[in-house]
Amino acid sequence: MNFAMVVHGAPYSSEACLSALKFARAVLESGHSINRVFFYHDGVHTANSLIAPPQDEAPISEQWQEFGIGNNIELIACIASCLRRGVMDETEANRYEKSGSNLASGFTISGLGQLIDASISADRVVTFGV
Amino acid sequence: MSSILFVFSRPPHGSINAQEGLDALLMGSAFTTCSVLFVGDGLMQLVSGQSTDDLGTKNFSLSFGALKDYGVTGIACSEPDLVARGLNKDDFLIEVETLNAAGMQAFIRNHDKVLNF
Amino acid sequence: MIVHTINKVSALGLCDNLVAEDDKIILLEDGVYLGLQSLPFSVFAIRCDVDARGLRGLLAAQTEVIDYDDFVHLCTEADKVCSWF
Repeated sequence: MNFAMVVHGAPYSSEACLSALKFARAVLESGHSINRVFFYHDGVHTANSLIAPPQDEAPISEQWQEFGIGNNIELIACIASCLRRGVMDETEANRYEKSGSNLASGFTISGLGQLIDASISADRVVTFGV
Repeated sequence: MSSILFVFSRPPHGSINAQEGLDALLMGSAFTTCSVLFVGDGLMQLVSGQSTDDLGTKNFSLSFGALKDYGVTGIACSEPDLVARGLNKDDFLIEVETLNAAGMQAFIRNHDKVLNF
Repeated sequence: MIVHTINKVSALGLCDNLVAEDDKIILLEDGVYLGLQSLPFSVFAIRCDVDARGLRGLLAAQTEVIDYDDFVHLCTEADKVCSWF
């Protein structure tokens, strides 16, 4: 069965981001697939490569990157949510003349259409809200 | 094509959740059949006369008037939550169907996917 | 059958009259505190959230503790998943 996932929570501010990661791992371990993880609202903070938690705390953002890259799962951060919250790839940073970009590897910035497309094509959609 | 029910449960302006939910609904309506159900304090998104001039934020409530143009025809709210807030349908910006518990359960069952905001 | 997830105590008020008789409720995050009381639904609570909060011996008898793979399995059995937060 194919799952679409939606994440609304930022790492550390909300447990939703961590719960979603645990669910995503369980989906694959159970032999199912994930068509896309869509980060919306504060969930886009997960895609901020400048997050540097204390060493004795779980690096949730890095764990998401490893999960996405290692399993070839699309991690999409909503562009409108990203721009409001200062998460940018190089293209957007240049477009808005910002001092730098900070999108973590493994994440792609894209539009809301990706949420709708994933929801339509998946067998199940599961949202991790805040 | 899968139909999507959007469920809005957050009041407007206190956070951007309600506005970002409406953005998703408008995008969804361009792709497939979409309906919306307002529950809890989400009903407050529909109250007419919202004025954000002094607050300095976008008055996104005006976009609700465009839902019909976007093809969103299933627009409903929780009757118990309406009554609990001392509101009636005349307080709303747009025409909304009120559903009791059984009606809301059927509304959810009749859509393929649910996206909560 | 619909799976309803609840991640905080206040979110029960959003969905308690939307849950049909054969639906299932999964409590996660701070939603597991709802597992302390007896609810008129079929209720599951995520183990790591229960344990993190020290609730293992305190849950109502009806609250069934499950892991994430059980959560995934319940989603596959459901027609759809509805998340309350």
